[in-house]
Amino acid sequence: MTTRAWVLAGAALLLGACASTAPTPEPTATPSSARPGPRPAAYQSQDFVVTFAQPGDTPETLAERYLGGADKAWMIEDYTGLRAFSPGQEVVIPRGPWNPAGVTPGGYQIVPILTYHNLAEQAKGRLVLAAASFREQMRYLKTNGYRVVSLADFVEFTRLNRQLPQRAVVLTFDDGYHAFKDFAYPVLKELGFTATLFIYTDWVGAGRGALSWNDLRELSAAGFDIQAHTKTHADLRRATGETEAQYARRMQAELEQPQELFNRNLGHRSQILAYPYGRWEEGLLPKVKEYGYIAAFSVRRQGNASFVRPLTGHRSQIYSEMTLDDFVRNLNVFQEENLR
Amino acid sequence: MSGAARGWLAAAALALALGGCAGMTAKSDPAAGGPGAATARDPLAARHRQQAEALEADAQLRRAAEEWKIVLTITPDDAKARQALDALRAKIDRAVTERIDEGRKALARGVQVEARRKFLTALALDPGNRAAFDALQNDTREVEFMTYTVRAGDTLTAIAQRYYGDRSRSEVIWETNQLPPNPKLTPGTTLKIPEIPGVPFVHPEARRPAPVVAAVPTPDVPRPATPAPAPGATAPAGKEEFTSEVNPLLAEAREALDRNDYGDAIGTIDKFLVGKPGDREGLTVKKQALYGQAKSQLDAKQYSESIQSLTVLARLQPDYEDSSALLKQARVRMIEQHYTQGVRFYREEKLKEAIAEWRLVLEMDPGHANARRNIDQAEKLLRGLEQRMKK
Repeated sequence: MTTRAWVLAGAALLLGACASTAPTPEPTATPSSARPGPRPAAYQSQDFVVTFAQPGDTPETLAERYLGGADKAWMIEDYTGLRAFSPGQEVVIPRGPWNPAGVTPGGYQIVPILTYHNLAEQAKGRLVLAAASFREQMRYLKTNGYRVVSLADFVEFTRLNRQLPQRAVVLTFDDGYHAFKDFAYPVLKELGFTATLFIYTDWVGAGRGALSWNDLRELSAAGFDIQAHTKTHADLRRATGETEAQYARRMQAELEQPQELFNRNLGHRSQILAYPYGRWEEGLLPKVKEYGYIAAFSVRRQGNASFVRPLTGHRSQIYSEMTLDDFVRNLNVFQEENLR
Repeated sequence: MSGAARGWLAAAALALALGGCAGMTAKSDPAAGGPGAATARDPLAARHRQQAEALEADAQLRRAAEEWKIVLTITPDDAKARQALDALRAKIDRAVTERIDEGRKALARGVQVEARRKFLTALALDPGNRAAFDALQNDTREVEFMTYTVRAGDTLTAIAQRYYGDRSRSEVIWETNQLPPNPKLTPGTTLKIPEIPGVPFVHPEARRPAPVVAAVPTPDVPRPATPAPAPGATAPAGKEEFTSEVNPLLAEAREALDRNDYGDAIGTIDKFLVGKPGDREGLTVKKQALYGQAKSQLDAKQYSESIQSLTVLARLQPDYEDSSALLKQARVRMIEQHYTQGVRFYREEKLKEAIAEWRLVLEMDPGHANARRNIDQAEKLLRGLEQRMKK
């Protein structure tokens, strides 16, 4: 049995050598997509599909055919390491998650979570990014194979419940500026990216620069995720001289009042929190949990492994003065480490 | 790009070379599963079998298992492949269990870096393993960092540029060290420079000293009490501002001490001292933490807690700083506190409660004349009241 297999493998290699000298098959010669014909041959088990690319096949068409949706194309790309296939090429397709923790013998996956604030036609200070820069950055993500995933998916990743694409990136926007609607939304919509808005509720509807609850409802309906950034955007760490009781009252206001407003205005509570100024301390975490948040984020400029503590996630702020190179430095998706 | 993906590129190159041929076989294979199918199946399965064997020989067990599954996808009745997969799975399970075990033991010894590595290697073998994942997430702290001594003219961005090649990583140093918004760096103070996943240290001296060696001390050789310089550390003479952190627990305890989290510092240093009883550095940290804790408890008027901390401290070193004076002060204040509490109860006509407070005072200071007198008077009153009640 084994011998026969080896002989056959040898034959396949010889044939391969043959084929390389033969003229490349023209796509028009076998217009399999044109004629109804039988479904392309595929071997299937509960773990894998092994098939051969048809002319015109892409990770998207294969994902559509075998995984139930083009949005799963990343599974094929990540597993095969390829983004295009030649006709007849063998393609191995995993049918489910094969590495939920993102840990391999060569290191582990890290997910960058980017943080934006305000946008305008022209940059103004660190936190008001020029719309053109934003567009450039988003296009960079698209053309370089990054996959923008939702923050909710990332949180599932930190619970070992969801494998993420190897080049997963999360986008977040802090405070709730109206400019999101004017400058970010059109770009994200065009590229098919999702994002999370962290809003502090005292700011909602406060003047022209702020998004209103109406805006937020609209954005939510359009598939954007709205989460809490406290009530007043105050540092949540216990202040010096603040008594236990005072601190408890303050945290109640900062952490629970947004929940009530979310419930009333958006019909759901917030499960994810962004720490104002990115500041937190160990003693704060039980309170954050107590008010129903399952994940929370600082602005420590680094990516997140799946096994990051969900209440101390990291985000990288993107500043207006950053060049595209500076921006790219925040997109590392893998930490090399010998884990054999 | 991950190692797995790189491996797949090689596999894909092979697939490309075969592409033309495979196309031909595929065309003759629409009746896959029919009698003619075996001819197309077998070479395909053979190639994956070959890969599985090669991967297994290279100790890439998880990927080998996947290849066996692919073989079985193509030829589901291949009993030998099934056997090989089952055996491999058992092997993986054993290795994973062993590593988790070792990780837990390392945790118990307080060796965080080793524990982290063990759990990570378990996950590399079985990336869905919840035990390893939970241990890594909840019980293991990443504490690897360098320390840097600030020199005149230093700025956070300059330091970040030197270590990470990226000025904007100054924020990480800022956060790690819990610095104020616009920090002024004082020469001589030390900063922690943490490792940032995905960002290699670029400073030549800042390279992590031989991670594998440093992270996994030989299990049967106890680590020396005074840490020797990490093997493989190549700090050239004359440049001594970079020192690799010695023991993660000790570092963690110091860190807690720096942020005045004395409870955490004491808890952590106790774990450290279990592994290294009597360690001088460890004891120094513990004494500092106890002293700090006692002082802050005193400030918060938690006198009995403060006395407790000072008593533990006195056991370690009776003449530590002004601890004996502090102890006296805490005692006096505690006595005062109970005495005035007694007076308050007395005024509210809660005689029994008042007496209890004053008795506490007498326990601590038997010569407290006022407390004694007050008790006598309160008891007299009580007796009078009780007699009146009876009538």
